[in-house]
Amino acid sequence: MGTKEWKFRENRNLRTAATFSIKRVLDDVNRNLDRSDGRPIIPLSHGDPSSFSCFRTTQVAEDAVVDALRSAKFNGYAPKGGALQARRSIAEYLSRNLPYKLSPDDVYVTLGAKQAIEVVLSALSRPGANILLPRPGYPVYEAHAVLNHLEVRHFDLLQEKDWEVDLNGLETLVDDKTVAMVIINPGNPCGNVFTRDHLQKIAETARRMGILVIADEAYAHLTFGSNSYVSMGVFGNLAPVLTLGTLSKRWLVPGWRLGWIARSDPDGIFEEHGVVECIKRSLITNTEAATFIQAAVPQILENTTDDFFVQTINILQEDADMCYKWLKDIPCFTCLQKPQGSLFLMVKLDFSQLQGINDDMDFCSKLAKEESVLLLPGFVLGLKNWIRVTFAIEPSALEEGLARIKAFCMRHANKQ
Amino acid sequence: MENGSTKKKKWAFQGNPELNTASEITIRAVLAMLKTHLNQSDSRPVIPLGHGDPSSFSCFRTSPIAEDAIANALRSAKFTGYSPTVGVLPARRAVAEYLSQDLPNRISPDDVFLTVGCTQAIQTIITVLADSKANILLPKPGYPYYEAFAQSCHLEVRHFDLLPDKDWEVDLVAVEALADENTAAMVIINPGNPCGNVFTFQHLQKVAETARKLGILVIADEVYGHIAFGKNPFVPMGVFGSITPVITLGSISKRWIVPGWRLGWLIINDPNGVLKKHRIIECITQYLNISSDPPTFIQGAVPDILGKTKEDFFLKIINTIKEAANSCYEGIQDIPGVICPSEPEGSMFVMVKLDLSILENIKDDLDFCVKLAKEESIIILPGISVGLKNWLRLTFAIEPSSLEDGIKRIKAFCRRHSKKA
Repeated sequence: MGTKEWKFRENRNLRTAATFSIKRVLDDVNRNLDRSDGRPIIPLSHGDPSSFSCFRTTQVAEDAVVDALRSAKFNGYAPKGGALQARRSIAEYLSRNLPYKLSPDDVYVTLGAKQAIEVVLSALSRPGANILLPRPGYPVYEAHAVLNHLEVRHFDLLQEKDWEVDLNGLETLVDDKTVAMVIINPGNPCGNVFTRDHLQKIAETARRMGILVIADEAYAHLTFGSNSYVSMGVFGNLAPVLTLGTLSKRWLVPGWRLGWIARSDPDGIFEEHGVVECIKRSLITNTEAATFIQAAVPQILENTTDDFFVQTINILQEDADMCYKWLKDIPCFTCLQKPQGSLFLMVKLDFSQLQGINDDMDFCSKLAKEESVLLLPGFVLGLKNWIRVTFAIEPSALEEGLARIKAFCMRHANKQ
Repeated sequence: MENGSTKKKKWAFQGNPELNTASEITIRAVLAMLKTHLNQSDSRPVIPLGHGDPSSFSCFRTSPIAEDAIANALRSAKFTGYSPTVGVLPARRAVAEYLSQDLPNRISPDDVFLTVGCTQAIQTIITVLADSKANILLPKPGYPYYEAFAQSCHLEVRHFDLLPDKDWEVDLVAVEALADENTAAMVIINPGNPCGNVFTFQHLQKVAETARKLGILVIADEVYGHIAFGKNPFVPMGVFGSITPVITLGSISKRWIVPGWRLGWLIINDPNGVLKKHRIIECITQYLNISSDPPTFIQGAVPDILGKTKEDFFLKIINTIKEAANSCYEGIQDIPGVICPSEPEGSMFVMVKLDLSILENIKDDLDFCVKLAKEESIIILPGISVGLKNWLRLTFAIEPSSLEDGIKRIKAFCRRHSKKA
């Protein structure tokens, strides 16, 4: 039976959506690795430090999950929207950084922050609507916007202003079909942390434009520079905020897939506009986080001691400093900013200092092949010819990686 | 803050209008609604005969081997990070081996995609096939999640009947009449939810041949796989993958009684490589790429769960379900106004028909269930939620003594509501 006789066809919209994928690009970069190179691969491309033993999660978290599992009380379906105890403890945890208290009903448990993105975008989708996303950004937003038929418009983050949001640019993008803007703070991929003032300005701008703010705070508390983490929910009285969060980063357990959506909306605007109902309904038609992991959340959030957090921050700081120091001395990297938070920084390629390298993808492919070091080309994040560097690995491995990058750049330096 | 302003702030966002109807029709929503009608002052325990989750009953506790597998995987610290899109290789290999035991062609780990429960397996295949103008054929009665999710993807749905007089077999004549040039697939659920039937080998073969004739693929929802205790043995649809491409959906949820663990799979049974040629496989990978995954340590536990669980655990569960099914079926024979055309052979459910002609003051199945909740503290699913008005879906997978009590109360209810001669 020939191809023509089968009637099923692939979803072409999904095809487009799937082009916005870091994984895909990394798979392509990985393919260039020289398997005969005996040296260990140094992965500075991903967002997952947990494979390094210095970044192991706290015993409290592991114990909490095993306890919940062994109780045999959590093998059934959890209520849609999340188990009450999980929602309650997340509400309490988030309220520590807010001037008001969140209630458990303001919180929805999701299958990691990734599903939080899926759910929110699906809840806001409407014919003709558009959403404002940062550039550079996190392509899961683009992927789900496309899948949900939401038009994407990009506003810039301004490198020369510590990667702040181009608020003037934002205003030119908004029209009466704009539903929301997304900010990622602490920043992926830029490693920046917005000041309190800037967050307030963002809220005021959103209010003026009548749009809500989706604040992706997956890297909350992972700051080590001069700007401390301020939750966008602090300004929920100016513009309604949906905060997305997860255990993944702060607890170093991305594989556990436990995230949340929190509403910061003291004036009840979401309720009025049907958004709360739609989030609930989007959750109903979706799958959910494992019940026993949800059951472990109260113990994890309440009993993890500060020394675990401090230890993680110290290693990240050491890594960030080391990375900045090395990259600063390499001529083909420009526009380098000292990272203040998250696990990443962005750096621009100066082609006048390189020869035989065509673009960011070419740079990363050749680097993988010649030095077994993996970096992420910035085009998939919206900035072609920039590179995202993940510094959150074992410090000694990072040093090795940076040395190899330097060797590579020197080898490909423009001889003139 | 608006200082003294009385002008109402105009906000541009609103909820997605499409989501409104899709989610109302899910089973959990209907059960939640019925619970609101329970009489709070009734001191008797509520008997849940509407759900698909027996895990809270001690006679249905999962195997300790499965629990150990998860704890070990977690403690090993080898599974804390992100997994590959399609799932960790040892888990996929284990699923391939587990399923190949019942198939003539071995499936490879590349044919296995791990999902967050069977729910995400359904989401995946529906999204993948939801090209504009496409339609999909669903059984009636069926599992309303298919309808709900298809609606949210703008995939048109058409229904074919399962025939109560023929042990709930697929009405293949109707299938042929419904299909057109935009039909992508048909769904079968075997063992059957909600009907409790198990299709014969011959019937499944006919389904495959019909699908081939129509140029469509078969989505075989085998989430109740192996939960068969009657005259028909469970035959996986993948057996017929060389006749027409089959996509099998399954999970550990039902056989291991752990629906809360959220570990399922989507399997390609397509030795002729038709799906690959049509880029369906690529599309499946693409969807899973941008969606969330099962927790990595749960994936890591799969080889031990599938490979080490002892046969006597499965036998114990099957026997418990079988006895419950028998007890339920026999009990129903004595209930006036309720008819069971087909003895349950598999899964955890049975469909029974209401004879409204002998019941008084009962408008329809929904009314029956609301009143039953109120008067007898029993929750049963009205057939309308699975596509058959004036039928009921009964779950018999609960503690045997509770089931007995439940049947007695239903009998009392029906007697009380019977028309006086």
